[in-house]
Amino acid sequence: MSLGHNHHAWLPPGIPRPPDDSQDLKLANGYPKSASGSRTPLVRGSFVADGSHTGNSISETDVAVEEDPRIAIFRDLYKRSEAKIGSLFDRDHKVEDEVDDAALPVAYVGDPDTKTLRADEPAAPPPPPPKKPARKLDDDDYDDYDEEEEAEEPSAAEPAQSPVKARSSLAAPSSQDLGGTPSPGHRASFATSTGAEGSKEVKKETLEEIRKKLEEDKRATEEAAKRSFHTLFYTLENDRDAMLDQKRLEESERQVEAEMSGQANTGNDNANSTQSGYGSLSSANLGASSLTLKNLIARIDMKRTMVQASDAELRSLMSEVRKNRSKWASEDKIGQEELYEAAEKVLSELKAMTEHSTAFLTRVNKRDAPDYYNIIKHPMDLGTMTKKLKALQYRSKQEFVDDLNLIWANCFKYNTTAEHVLRKHAMYMKKETEKVVPLIPDIVIRDRAEVEAEERRLQMADLDGAEESDDEPIMSSRGRKAPGKSAAKKGAAPARNTPSGSEPPGAASSQPPPPLRADSHVDTEGTQNGFGTPPPSTQTPDPAAGMPASQDDSMEIDGMVTSNAALSALSASGVDVEDPEYKIWKQVTKKDRAIIAAERHRLFKGDKLNSDEPALLRTKAGMRRWLHSQTQAHHDGDKTRESSQGMESDAAGKTLAEGIEVEEDKVIPDYYDVMSGIPDLPDQILWREDSDGNIVDASEEFLRILPKGSFTQPDSKFTHKLNANMRQMQETRKICSKIGIVKQMQLQSQMYQNQFQKYNPEPFVEQDIPSHVMNDQGPVTSPWICKSALQRSVAKLFYHAGFEEYQPSALDAVTDVASDFFQKIGETLKSYMEVPKIPASDSPESTTQNSQWKRPYTEPEIVLHTLSSVGIDIESLESYIKDDVERLGSKLATVHDRMKSLLSELLRPALAEGGEDGSHAFADGSDQFASGDFAEDIDEDFFGFKELGLDKEFGLATLSVPFHLLQNRISAVQSQNTSSTQIINIFPPPSQYPRITTESLSSQIGLVQEFFKNKLEAHNNDPLVEDLELPPKQRPTATRPRLPASGKIAPPSNLGGPTSSPSKRPAPPSASFGSKSGTLEPNKKKIKKNSSAGMGIPEDENSGDIDGTKPDSNAKTNDANGEDDAAASSFGDIGNSKNGVENSATSDGAGELDEQANKAGDGAVPLTNGTAGDVS
Amino acid sequence: MSDRNPKYRQEIQQMMFVSGETAEPSIETTTLIEEIVRQQVIEILIRSTALATRRGVRSISTDDLIFLIRHDKAKVSRLRTFLSWKDVRKNVKDSDDKGGGDAADFAGADDPLAAGAVAGPQDMAAKPKNKRAKVGLVWDVNSFYSVQVPERDDEEDEEEEEQNYATLQRLAAADERTKHMTKEEYVFWSECRQASFTYRKSKRFREWAGFGIVTESKPNDDIVDILGFLTFEIVQTLTEEALKVKEREDHEKNRRGPTDNGGENPKKRKRETGLFDPPEEGRNPVEPRHIREAYRKLQATPNRQVAMLLHNGRIPSRFPLRLI
Repeated sequence: MSLGHNHHAWLPPGIPRPPDDSQDLKLANGYPKSASGSRTPLVRGSFVADGSHTGNSISETDVAVEEDPRIAIFRDLYKRSEAKIGSLFDRDHKVEDEVDDAALPVAYVGDPDTKTLRADEPAAPPPPPPKKPARKLDDDDYDDYDEEEEAEEPSAAEPAQSPVKARSSLAAPSSQDLGGTPSPGHRASFATSTGAEGSKEVKKETLEEIRKKLEEDKRATEEAAKRSFHTLFYTLENDRDAMLDQKRLEESERQVEAEMSGQANTGNDNANSTQSGYGSLSSANLGASSLTLKNLIARIDMKRTMVQASDAELRSLMSEVRKNRSKWASEDKIGQEELYEAAEKVLSELKAMTEHSTAFLTRVNKRDAPDYYNIIKHPMDLGTMTKKLKALQYRSKQEFVDDLNLIWANCFKYNTTAEHVLRKHAMYMKKETEKVVPLIPDIVIRDRAEVEAEERRLQMADLDGAEESDDEPIMSSRGRKAPGKSAAKKGAAPARNTPSGSEPPGAASSQPPPPLRADSHVDTEGTQNGFGTPPPSTQTPDPAAGMPASQDDSMEIDGMVTSNAALSALSASGVDVEDPEYKIWKQVTKKDRAIIAAERHRLFKGDKLNSDEPALLRTKAGMRRWLHSQTQAHHDGDKTRESSQGMESDAAGKTLAEGIEVEEDKVIPDYYDVMSGIPDLPDQILWREDSDGNIVDASEEFLRILPKGSFTQPDSKFTHKLNANMRQMQETRKICSKIGIVKQMQLQSQMYQNQFQKYNPEPFVEQDIPSHVMNDQGPVTSPWICKSALQRSVAKLFYHAGFEEYQPSALDAVTDVASDFFQKIGETLKSYMEVPKIPASDSPESTTQNSQWKRPYTEPEIVLHTLSSVGIDIESLESYIKDDVERLGSKLATVHDRMKSLLSELLRPALAEGGEDGSHAFADGSDQFASGDFAEDIDEDFFGFKELGLDKEFGLATLSVPFHLLQNRISAVQSQNTSSTQIINIFPPPSQYPRITTESLSSQIGLVQEFFKNKLEAHNNDPLVEDLELPPKQRPTATRPRLPASGKIAPPSNLGGPTSSPSKRPAPPSASFGSKSGTLEPNKKKIKKNSSAGMGIPEDENSGDIDGTKPDSNAKTNDANGEDDAAASSFGDIGNSKNGVENSATSDGAGELDEQANKAGDGAVPLTNGTAGDVS
Repeated sequence: MSDRNPKYRQEIQQMMFVSGETAEPSIETTTLIEEIVRQQVIEILIRSTALATRRGVRSISTDDLIFLIRHDKAKVSRLRTFLSWKDVRKNVKDSDDKGGGDAADFAGADDPLAAGAVAGPQDMAAKPKNKRAKVGLVWDVNSFYSVQVPERDDEEDEEEEEQNYATLQRLAAADERTKHMTKEEYVFWSECRQASFTYRKSKRFREWAGFGIVTESKPNDDIVDILGFLTFEIVQTLTEEALKVKEREDHEKNRRGPTDNGGENPKKRKRETGLFDPPEEGRNPVEPRHIREAYRKLQATPNRQVAMLLHNGRIPSRFPLRLI
């Protein structure tokens, strides 16, 4: 038979094999068991290596670890000696074998150091004859060892043909080797009581060991997880799941509770009734419970009559009083407490693995899987098990384990596809089950009466300790009182008797298959995980083990086989993907996280905060825990640093925690418990003092001034272009406004000062924020400032795009869009930057070095990718700059030029003169002229506005000509000039009339000679001045009296005042002032000259006699009046009548008339002179 | 909408011919193109109506149409050229009506499309007095200011030159194609160039595009002319894109031609006429699938439109139709 086959025969069927199958190799090497044994310390060693960091709570582990290899060595030694014995004795010496078997464990537990003792032991005389049937457990182990030895010699590996049992087939080779075929049952009968006792001891020991080991393992993982708290930061992402799972678990428990409560009530009643019926008032019965209560019991007994309670009541009272009695404790059922306590622990532990156990918590719903109950005939789930447990339906460990395995088997059976998720869960749960099942003591519950009866029987047989047997029940119950090693031992005692044949029939029937499985599980565990050596001398007390007769077993096998596939699939895909550390974290902290998450969750109602919910508060216990872990971390971190701080905080912690009972330790990092803990103070704001006790100000180290310009546009070519464009637009707009004003003036006849607002935009200046002190590195996170900065940029672009002004809401909206957009860009950029690094070179060995890693994208690549993902490419950016900025600039420039020329065209008549004259009076732009500012330049009341009171009237701040006045004049002159030029061109102006002097008097007609002569005499014979030669204001007709609306002529005093309204009349003809040409160019000058003539020319010409001329002119007007009268005789009635009226009214009436005449003359301005002259 | 029979088969064929398709496309192809074009026209009308409504006007104006295609600068430029020449033609006609003189000179300018692009410059040179009125756009620099910017003759609009790059490419291609044509061929060519959806078939076009249904107002002739121009552009773009698709497909087919005989791609082989067969008339016509692929490509949503939907933005199930 091949080795592999043998191997399979040797292993219990259906055990998941480790994928690497190193076992085979080891077997071939000839060190099968020791090899597998040595694996354990290896693995544990790794734990130790890990654990040495923390330093505490490892010592225990160390002890356990040390023990293991020794055991392995001893076993080895033992095997060798056994082989020797085997060769010494013949087949007949089975007894010795058995003895050996039984004694061995005692030996190595009791005195593990001496090999010699071991070697001697077989030689020692056989123990006393058997009083009880020994447990087969020992044989079983023995067989295992044999088998392994056997495996060394392939020749001996014979196929197991034993017709009775599979087990015996396993035993067969060994028996061959030993030269005997010890049937287990047979051997059992030979086992001595002491041997059994010893093996019991050993078994207890090992059981304890296993349990301890498991717990230590658990603690070690917790420790590891705790350690990782400081090195890794875990997020809350799984909390919700944990919480939900936990909730489900609790719910199922509640459900079970609810279901149970009904049953329990009735059950309790029953129990009570039976108890009361059963109970007799004997101290033995009560005393069975406790030694410490002995006195009390005695006392009660003494005063029994005075006690009003019934026996049963007393009992229950008693059991309540007794400390550490669990709810499972029962007077009548021996072993129940131990079994159930352990089973409940296991069950809750399994349930607590919510990640995987969720599916198995409750019965399978028919709605979810309609055909489930067709396929699964014996449904089972953790909830049902809890129910059964509470209903005290389990009578032995086997039953319990059986049910557990049934759950997983059901799952494997129903979900046949290898990839099914539930299979993975079941697989995991199964593994966990195997881990924790050894924690349950192998006990079969028996009725006390039965046990007592049996013991009595034994006492009869045994002559030695009659008294002891009396004590037996007390002892056992005392054990219950103080659970521990001895308790477990004693509690287990009854169970060990089970194989004797007096076991309850129900237990017997269900017993055989499970042990095999339990055993195999342990084996599996040992081989798979290298986790805990399979106890050599424990369990599998079954003679009929290995008989896979029951349905359960076949199912089990089935499940196992498929589960192998599932396992491989699992390890291939599902599990290994997860970081083991993370997994541990999840498992270990699950419950606590769930609790915390639930606490948090309670604060919310839907998506909103629930204001009615009480707030989470800081708890003293939490704070203490935090302090504790703080100090611990501190100590762990560096022990060299003196721990004064730690001590202080320690002390503080203790004071804080005064009077608080210790809460159960939470396995959760500090940062998870937000309610307890104080954030660290950053180094820089620690209160530090130097040697003199002065405070050290560390602010310089971390305070900094925000550099200028973080909120302004960075200086670049693009910026300059943008700004230039905007300036250009402003300039153009200025011109536009002027054009608009000019055009408006040409249309309107009357304008007001405030009709036109001057368009004078401020240049754009970007304000930076005032200097700002920052606490740390990084950008300023002030949303308002950032937003307004962005708003300004957006507004700038708006302006650049041609908008002159915008509504704030529009600006806001666009700013929001822009910030959104930039956020998207930022996020995209970030996601590109956070792509995991890739190895710089392809060769795998170089990846180990850290320096060999590089970013998958270079920076330009990142930018380009980002841009393209938001739909922008370099071309569009470039075309934006080219088309929308640069070309826009040139366009704007041309538009500006055109506008300028348009304006100058509009102003041409006025502007052109300066150029022609070469005077360039306004060469520096039309501004001055257009705004009439030039008067200020020469600092003079050039136009006599002040004198005329115009400045007050217009509210002029300066002496500049009101623009509308000026423009009006321009246009008027313009229109006037166009007509006059033509006329003048056609008809040259007539020569001036010579002044009348005494010399020329004679040439006048005789009628007026007398008149002129009088005049000349009146003027000292100076030449007579024509009215028209005078400046308009000095003419007698200058102040034109008006007929008010009332029709009454105003008194003459009024007439002397300045005119109350600006002259709307066109300027008086200037031909008489000697302007030679009527072309357009001089027009402007003419205006100026005209006005200057009004002031200056008379001064020049008639200097000195202004005072004199006025009366003269008055006289002269009178003359002229008369002259007019004479001349206007042709006017006839009108003149006369008017004259009459005016004469009667005022002496100046003549002036009025004269004015009228003047007006008539004005009608044909250029020509009047001539005609008037002619007339005169 | 009552009748779905194609109405512009010949026009579309001619347009395709001008756009580079030498073979005779099947009726399915032209029908497909026609449907696409009609969808586009209707979309244009709907959108421009909405724009006009937003302005507070009932009838569509030229600006609305141009606004719809504003991002395609080349097209806008072409359209402006077209409009300005249309204007010129009208003026000339007016003056011709008055003077009754040289109408013959403008025979070539009858086709708005061809004349606008090809015959334009010569006309311009010949008749400087018929100055092209520039079509101003509301969003141009000129409208930045409150005052109308005076026109100046001497300044040539340089942007037109640049933006006409695509147009010039097309013209160059056309020139290349016509270089070796015989006289008859050229006549045919120029006839094809005059193909239009709207020219002298305004009524048919109005019915076809469902004017009364889509828009309330009656778009004037200007609008119809612009639509005629745009429809030609659509057909041209589609055809060019489809030709590219076809070319790529042919290239791919040729590349793995030898292995294709194995028959692992029966679908492709079916319509292939045989690898070593002499291609009939040099090439196969563009087929509906090419058109469809081209249309799909032209309808692809650019990244720019989904940029704001990145990172948790909800992508709408359907994007609006893109104007080709």
